[in-house]
Amino acid sequence: MTTIVVRDVTRVFGEFTAVDRVSVEVRSGEIVGLLGANGAGKTTLIKMILGLLAPSAGQIRLFGELPTRQQRRRIGYVPQNLGLYLDLTAAENLEFHAEVFGVERVPTAGTDQPFAHELIRTLSLGDQRRVAFTAATQHHPELLVLDEPTSGVSPLSRSDLWDRIHEYAEAGAAVLVSTHHIDEADQADRLVVMARGHVVARGTPREVVAGRTVVEVITDRWNDALEVLDTHGRRAALAGRSLRVLSGSIDDVRRDLAADHIAAELRLVPATLDEAMVALSL
Amino acid sequence: MKAMIVKEFRQLRRDRRTVALLVGLPILLLVVFGYAAKFDVTSIDTTVVGPNARAVAATLPRVYKVANVAPRDTAADATEVLRNSDAQVAVVATPNGNRMLIDGTDIFIAQSALRQVPAQTIPEVLFNPTLNTAYVMVPALIGLILLFVGTVITSVGVVREREQGTLEQLAVMPLRPIDVTIGKIAPYFLVGVFDLVVITLAGIWLFNVPFVGSIWIFCAFGLVFLFVVLGLGVAISTVSRSQGEAIQLAIMMLLPQVMLSGMIFPLASMATGVRWIGYLLPLTWFVEGMRGVFLKGTGFAALALPFGVLVVMAIVVFGFAMLRFRRDLAPKHSASPDRATAAVGAE
Repeated sequence: MTTIVVRDVTRVFGEFTAVDRVSVEVRSGEIVGLLGANGAGKTTLIKMILGLLAPSAGQIRLFGELPTRQQRRRIGYVPQNLGLYLDLTAAENLEFHAEVFGVERVPTAGTDQPFAHELIRTLSLGDQRRVAFTAATQHHPELLVLDEPTSGVSPLSRSDLWDRIHEYAEAGAAVLVSTHHIDEADQADRLVVMARGHVVARGTPREVVAGRTVVEVITDRWNDALEVLDTHGRRAALAGRSLRVLSGSIDDVRRDLAADHIAAELRLVPATLDEAMVALSL
Repeated sequence: MKAMIVKEFRQLRRDRRTVALLVGLPILLLVVFGYAAKFDVTSIDTTVVGPNARAVAATLPRVYKVANVAPRDTAADATEVLRNSDAQVAVVATPNGNRMLIDGTDIFIAQSALRQVPAQTIPEVLFNPTLNTAYVMVPALIGLILLFVGTVITSVGVVREREQGTLEQLAVMPLRPIDVTIGKIAPYFLVGVFDLVVITLAGIWLFNVPFVGSIWIFCAFGLVFLFVVLGLGVAISTVSRSQGEAIQLAIMMLLPQVMLSGMIFPLASMATGVRWIGYLLPLTWFVEGMRGVFLKGTGFAALALPFGVLVVMAIVVFGFAMLRFRRDLAPKHSASPDRATAAVGAE
């Protein structure tokens, strides 16, 4: 079943188009990663899906219908800033969420933690995110929307959180996760990559990377080469003793280096996921 | 140090509200003190009753602005006129001598009248015979405290939700905007009611302020005024980005009410334009109602005007605040359903 259908949705703020004719689908049981740099339009899109912003144009369907207030019982949402009351304890936050959604509080989720009776503001970001995730899932939503869920947490907490997200999707929920951590892209079943308000790529992580190449430059004068490429506005990174150039064709790069008499061996190599994401964002 | 000063000025230039507070407030204070803060009374609304009313009215000093001459009315009628705030002074002119009844709930006017009592007239101050300042200040202070508590605490409470991002979380929960609004405001309303009761009892107990009026009229004024101040608080919160801004705005709204409501300076002494600003402020009408209820035992009919104005203010301010707050919780649908069909918050 398709849980979210976004069709040609646009959102304009004054003269600025934050989201431009974007289409996205999320089916139950799958994790869709919404990837993009800051300002790509991810959060605006999420807010429109949740009904926090009205689209300027386009259509949004949740659970096959226009969004309604009743549907919100079927949605769990963890905003980027977590949406927890800092001056309430973890247990009190969970109790509030449970009461609003009309469900019993999950006795073993969060409240059995040693921090259950600590004020949220005193907890580490990792623990805060754990509480926010529990709060968003204790009513067993069929759609889980997570905006940058792992931002600022330790690798261990991040891994723990992704385990819980996977468990949730395996139980049948549709999960939409926005992130700008490229290394998390592999966690999603499908990716939707956004840049400057547009969808610039979509598919499985493998499909998004497939066919994308970078120019590998092997030279003894890597430092000079890096400087020359930079002056020509090319995005390049040092990898071992070679350079990997993300922007421009192999002929462009050869011409740039030749102009400065830098001898180098050039070849096209498959891009990594990181490089594909950076190239898409350019 | 120079860099620090330049940086500070740059920040200040972009903080329009602080600039307004730094520039606007001194101008406001100047205008208020210049045109409003006057203790000297040049005109006292007067009614003259009794068989010799016409003759006596013609001989009164100019400061007594005779608005009504009623030869058939008695001292009891004159007292009622003062109780209903239809006049500030009533002269009872009889063949046996003249009495001047003075409304003691406006101390400056009463003192001014006492200084200019016509010859062979016996003055008598009603409702506050000793011209005790606490008697007239405590009923007004109740309003001021409610105004402060209501606007500041409510606005800060709502802005905190926005600052922490929890307002956004509430907006995606299966709550109707009315649930959020009432759930958010009801505690402040109850705190306001508690404050109203505690301040009133403390005022009566500590300062021996008499309470001669109807408890029901008192309650009616208190509740309507609470709606106005809570509405103001929510309205402030909807235009404030931070708790600091909300407090700043609340204080900016509080100051003119202290100065122009008649709480300290008599409205009658203010320049006409400034006095009309006073008429637009809720505290003005609450003070009039409370002084009437506490000290004079004024009936509801005579307080219909201040009560009615407060009701209108409550509807306008509270209604405006609710609409703004609702907009934060549930964005408007797109104008064209075929262009955008995310029916936000639709049932």
